Amino acid sequence: MLMPAAMLVFVVLGAIAVDFAVAFLGEREVSNAAAAAANDVAGAALDRERFYADGAVRLDPATADEVGRSAVAAAGLDDLDEVDVRVEVAADAPVVTVTVSARVRYLFAKALPGGPDGARVEAWATATAEEGD
Amino acid sequence: MSWRDETGAVGGIEVLPFALLVFVAGTLLLANAWAVVEGKVAASAAAREAARAYVESAGPEEAAVDEAAAAARAAIEGHGREPGRMELEAVGALSFERCARATFEVRYSVATVNVPWIGAFGGGLITTSARHSEVVDPYRSGVPSGDCDA
Repeated sequence: MLMPAAMLVFVVLGAIAVDFAVAFLGEREVSNAAAAAANDVAGAALDRERFYADGAVRLDPATADEVGRSAVAAAGLDDLDEVDVRVEVAADAPVVTVTVSARVRYLFAKALPGGPDGARVEAWATATAEEGD
Repeated sequence: MSWRDETGAVGGIEVLPFALLVFVAGTLLLANAWAVVEGKVAASAAAREAARAYVESAGPEEAAVDEAAAAARAAIEGHGREPGRMELEAVGALSFERCARATFEVRYSVATVNVPWIGAFGGGLITTSARHSEVVDPYRSGVPSGDCDA
């Protein structure tokens, strides 16, 4: 009796280790995507009308949303499900925060009775557009 | 007490070598899985560094591509991996001009260990891949102007 139980414990522990690694990788992927998207938005979403009107460096929310979503779409998150992107632009500063969340599919846990089939991961990144000299 | 006396013997002790073998096989299986995870992390870093090096390059385009390849190799080496097993590829057409999107994909082949009873996964090599994308700064000087309104 002891041997089958020990094997089951061993397999379950291994499955937990691999599935946690998969979730960790998924979190890194959304983190990288968020950082790249925030960087792109800070560089490419300058509100030109506002800049020419009063010289203030601000980000245009509509452009920021478009650039942020296209950046995340290009990041190759094809192996993740339910990818969600939120782009928030500060009103009083050229600061953007991009939040990316997605669902990671587990490999082994779903084979266990009552085991989850995945986990939701989320990461956010903030970037500031700064004027050069 | 003679040597045939079974006092103190543990029933089922003969399965211990089998258990040890299962333990070794399981450990190798997990080591393989973790090697793939590490390969994915390295590929992810290489793709990111390649894209960063490309969009931050002073140009021209050929030099930017060379810098991206060098950055990817350095990232793989930095993770203690073999650059010869890495393939770097641009996704879509590259255009070194303002507002152009540069997307790089890195594929890295991870060598797997032969697991007893199970064998080697993927013929001994598992390919992991990662992709990273960035935009060339629209307000950089010294870079050809691109279509920033697209």
